[in-house]
Amino acid sequence: MMKTLLVIVMCAAALSGIALSSPILTAQSQPQTAPAGNVEKGRLGFVRVGCAQCHGREAQGSPTSGPRLGPNGLPYPAFARYVREPRLQMPPYTGKILPDADLADLYAFVQSRPKAATPPALQ
Amino acid sequence: MRRAAAVSAAMAAPAGVAAQSATPAASTAAPESSTTEAEPLTGGRAGSDFMVDTIKALGFEYICANPGSSFRGLHESVINYGGNEKPELLTCMHEESAVAMAHGYFKIEGKPLAVMAHGTVGLQHASMALYNAWCDRVPVYLLLGNTLDATMRAPGVEWVHSVQDAAAMVRDYTKWDDTPMSLPHFAESAVRAYKIAMTPPYGPVVIVADSELQEHPIADHHGALRVPQLSLAAPPQADSGAVAEAARLLVAADSPLLIADRLARTPAGLARLIELAELLQAAVISTQPNSLPPIAAGRMNFPNRHPLNQTLRSVAAIADADLIAGLEIANIYGATHIFRDQLERTSRPATKAGVKLITITAGDLSVKANYQDFQRYVEADLSMAADGEATLPALIEAVRRLITPERRRAFDARGAKLADASRLVLERARTDAAYAWDASPISTARFAAEVWQQIRSEDWSLVNGNLSGWPLRLWNFDKHHQYIGVSGGSGIGYGMPASVGAALANRKHGRLSVNIQNDGDMMYAPGVLWTAAHHKIPILTVVHNNRSYHEETMHLQRMGNRRNRGVDRAHIGNEIDNPAIDYAKLAQAMGWYAEGPIANPNDLGPALARAIAAVKRGQPALVDVVTQPR
Repeated sequence: MMKTLLVIVMCAAALSGIALSSPILTAQSQPQTAPAGNVEKGRLGFVRVGCAQCHGREAQGSPTSGPRLGPNGLPYPAFARYVREPRLQMPPYTGKILPDADLADLYAFVQSRPKAATPPALQ
Repeated sequence: MRRAAAVSAAMAAPAGVAAQSATPAASTAAPESSTTEAEPLTGGRAGSDFMVDTIKALGFEYICANPGSSFRGLHESVINYGGNEKPELLTCMHEESAVAMAHGYFKIEGKPLAVMAHGTVGLQHASMALYNAWCDRVPVYLLLGNTLDATMRAPGVEWVHSVQDAAAMVRDYTKWDDTPMSLPHFAESAVRAYKIAMTPPYGPVVIVADSELQEHPIADHHGALRVPQLSLAAPPQADSGAVAEAARLLVAADSPLLIADRLARTPAGLARLIELAELLQAAVISTQPNSLPPIAAGRMNFPNRHPLNQTLRSVAAIADADLIAGLEIANIYGATHIFRDQLERTSRPATKAGVKLITITAGDLSVKANYQDFQRYVEADLSMAADGEATLPALIEAVRRLITPERRRAFDARGAKLADASRLVLERARTDAAYAWDASPISTARFAAEVWQQIRSEDWSLVNGNLSGWPLRLWNFDKHHQYIGVSGGSGIGYGMPASVGAALANRKHGRLSVNIQNDGDMMYAPGVLWTAAHHKIPILTVVHNNRSYHEETMHLQRMGNRRNRGVDRAHIGNEIDNPAIDYAKLAQAMGWYAEGPIANPNDLGPALARAIAAVKRGQPALVDVVTQPR
């Protein structure tokens, strides 16, 4: 419960544009009960339904608009709950404008993001 | 004490200017109705010459203008009588650009620029930039041409361009204005206006220079025509009792937090905030553009890599604080509350129960009713209507006197924890920046990192742009001129001209001015590109080209989803694409070195290096970078 609350608070704060310590949206747990989704459909949907506007096309996040969503993002239940009923600034996505199947594709896409290695320019 | 600049009304040419005839090419044709007495067609020294004497006495280096007939007399006096030196006239292609240039210039140089404009159409063009300056507490010195005497107006356009009360339309967001009726009146009001503009809280002022007063020969004022001595006012310090109480609260607090917005008017302000923070080992939040809460975007108040800087963990720092001192922060309510923009808009405290709040701001000395830049009312425990920078020395001394060895030990332990926390968030920021490193369009983090690689060994100055907060995370800001804040009024169109004005000020210091320029903002008045090239103002502009008014795209997404209609059409009215604007060609057309559009991140570094080489040759240079939205 505590972990879920922490994750949601971080997500809410970051999605609201609040200056976080970083745009990372982390979760200690692995995806739980995530429905099967299509990564390529999710990639297209991520731009089409506007996720990329705040989170970047690679779901990498931005300090001033939305956190990084993957890899190792929220467990699916928390992810879906936040998309449907955001706590802070993120626009709510109902089932009418984002069906469950599309949501599953989005989740598959963000989970498929590769872990980044720090390039020399940032060391 | 400055010596009074007594000016003779004699006809002698001014220093630095060869004596010359002011006689225009005279017609040899007979007048329509001949009289026995010849009509004088030429005159000697004009009223606008004396106005230039006044302007020179005030020390303006430049005067910006888009030319206009209502100040033709003053224009001629600046370039001929005044020798076009101190002030030198800068040709601007929009009055909004002229004022915004003055805005940016001041924030580097600490001195105002003068601007000339038509009293009607010119001021209407200038008004948005004046509002930005007002909100950002920046002095702009505006001279308006106007023809008050209706019988002296030429038929037609001159009537359309005349007005009874020229400054009325900007009076809500200027500190002071006047319409002098004589040259002695002009001199007194001109000096008074300068003094008012330069007394914190700073702000724009307007002097109407009537065309008749400009153009008529100087009358005999019986020796009264002189420029009064300028006596700048010392900035207001807080009441000594309030300072003592603030010191007591700060020393007693377990977790004090200093939030600075437009605190450091000068480099001394930065040094004093460091001194206070280190004395207390207190957390500091500063210089965080585009954040929510919108806590601080005004000035370079505190080094971003200082161990006590908690800006990158501001939510936690605000929640941890048991005492918050707001130092020249306009929106302390926003900094201490979480605002939720859903169907029902709500706010709730971001602070813990029982937190004490101290405010020091000169903004409390200059509040007007109509425009709502004063933000929500805050319930402060101690509020000082005073200039923050001027109050810091007394506050530092009062704090120093109260610190006991026991408190010192507690402070040191606190400082060590804060240092650990700030180190962690800076490390995490570098890790975050690596995501989407090779993406195209280019990520904002990669963009910031590539620029940093090119400028880090230079004496650089970020004169505009925040690039989604990445420079604050990846660059090393520790000098006052390295960051000058944002527009103040969030009126789009500020970035390009303000950065050119700031670069003008940086030019004589040999600094590399860097403008991270949003694409939508740039298109408001791109004519300032020509101004920069014409006046040889070196500046590196890197376009953050996300091909949209992105902030508004996010608002449309909010509306579409709230109404269950989705976001598919949110780009309509917001995208700047189809066709994509070629900013490099735009800049090249106006005399800039330019490259782009660049969408491959591996091409960015070499392009920046070539552009910086052009800047070092004295040329303005632009690199157009196609980026991720944010």
